[in-house]
Amino acid sequence: MQRSASDGAARAVVSRRVLWIVPILLLPLPLLLNPYQQYVINLVLVYVPVAIGFNVVVGNLGLLAFSNVAFFGIGAYTAGILMVRLGLPWWVAVPPAALMGAVAGCAASVPALRGVRLFYLAIMTLAFGELMRWVYIRWIPVTGGSFGMALPPPDLFGWSLDSEAGKFYVFLGLVLVAIIATDRILRSRFGRAFVAIKSDELAAAAMGVPTNRYITLGFAWGGAVVGVGGAMYAALIGHLSPPAFDLTELILEFAIIMVGGLGSLVGSVIGAVIITAAPEFFHELPGYQELLFGILIVLVILFLPRGLASLLARAHPLFRDRYDRG
Amino acid sequence: MAALLEVSDITVRFGGLTAVDRVSFGLEPGQICALIGPNGAGKTTLFNAIAGNAVIEGGRIVFRGSEIQGLTPHEISARGIRRTFQTGGLFGHLTALENVLVGLHTEIASDFFGLLLGSRRSHQAEVAATARARDLLALMDIAALADHPADALSGGQQRMVEIVRALATNPPLLLLDEPAVGLAPAARDKLTQIIRRLARETNLGILLIEHAIELVMDVSDRVIVLNDGKKVADAPPAAVRADKAVLEAYLGHA
Repeated sequence: MQRSASDGAARAVVSRRVLWIVPILLLPLPLLLNPYQQYVINLVLVYVPVAIGFNVVVGNLGLLAFSNVAFFGIGAYTAGILMVRLGLPWWVAVPPAALMGAVAGCAASVPALRGVRLFYLAIMTLAFGELMRWVYIRWIPVTGGSFGMALPPPDLFGWSLDSEAGKFYVFLGLVLVAIIATDRILRSRFGRAFVAIKSDELAAAAMGVPTNRYITLGFAWGGAVVGVGGAMYAALIGHLSPPAFDLTELILEFAIIMVGGLGSLVGSVIGAVIITAAPEFFHELPGYQELLFGILIVLVILFLPRGLASLLARAHPLFRDRYDRG
Repeated sequence: MAALLEVSDITVRFGGLTAVDRVSFGLEPGQICALIGPNGAGKTTLFNAIAGNAVIEGGRIVFRGSEIQGLTPHEISARGIRRTFQTGGLFGHLTALENVLVGLHTEIASDFFGLLLGSRRSHQAEVAATARARDLLALMDIAALADHPADALSGGQQRMVEIVRALATNPPLLLLDEPAVGLAPAARDKLTQIIRRLARETNLGILLIEHAIELVMDVSDRVIVLNDGKKVADAPPAAVRADKAVLEAYLGHA
């Protein structure tokens, strides 16, 4: 008893330190990179919250829901519309993007509440993303239709974030908040309820977990985090158009959490890094990019069915996902 | 003594099949009552009806003075009826400790936004619950299993964790669905002792479905025999052993 309790405390301290040490080590990055490389790193940071939110629904709740690209687009368009149509600064548009993502999450949870599961749920939630794309294309006065919308440069409290380096620091902060907040939720009765629902819904209910309420909560939290990723995407790209939120995008996001590791916060981060940055490393080999990228994904899924995060978890308990505060 | 559970005229139908047919019985605090009968007699369906997992067509279930039929499983659990499952009831993706923490779910006072904002109260509630879950495992001498994934435990260990999880909230009524299935003789003896101790020391009412007839005769104060969804006997173990209707239920109606 005594011993395991102190082990737990030590682990908690180490993991809290990692959350500060890694970002601090990343701080000088803009000094070392050219603007294009910095752009790629920023894109990685965009995909971290996108993956974290997706992973809460698919990996933790265990529901095969493909509504993630809808949350991503809704976050991006919410930020874009508020900036272009209402003239709000970018940073003011971030919380509404999260809020709209959460609302979209609640809406996307409805089929699951009716007992729709597996492939049926996958198809119904896939339709949500396609429906949203129809809205982006048709709601021309607001979304700019197929041509999309050019966005003004983002800013933070009046400071222009025109440079890639400026975006990097703001994104790093947002990603850190998303990781810490999600970690706090997952390591509580809420996160345990999510995984309990994945393991055995009947048993979860028998332990007093109101399963439907928690399914909606998981979707809402996932949607909110992904919505922030959408707002970051809007700031990074500076232009929104419907093809950015199509099925190919969804498959990319799914690949991130599969390769990183389902149900793992660490996995979401690793997956975002690998899948977003890997194509850049294959630039030297034109024509083979897609091939090498495809082989990489197949190898990971074949030999590490629980993702790259499972490798790290085996190497050090720090990377194991915990759902208690022992 | 007021009855803990009063089941009156419960009927459950699946399509044309009457799985439970106008069954009535009562249970006192601290009493161990076994439900036996051949496969398909309606034992588990009766459990499901009490726990809110099966739709009841007629009759009433009164638990501690209030009707509970029609409540959802999580509401019934929160009122103090907790159960174990025939197979695979543990959350395999979670550790033993985390399983017990899910058992404590309704008693942890952390709130969502409090956790997000790092409120001290919510954090403390989580830390205290984790300590309590470890203590509960230690009470059953399985503290060493705390950080093992549930799906890596042996059948006997899983059963013990499941019982700790079900009892984490100190419920007045426990439903055990074939707890001895797949257990080695030593684990079975231990289970027998635990069931007896719980009823005696904590005044827990226990409803037990079990095929291991020695265990049933050993621990129960009362045995209810079901056949084709109907109650055919309700008596102390020794009397049931001698009952004609029971023999018929097990040997078939020639």
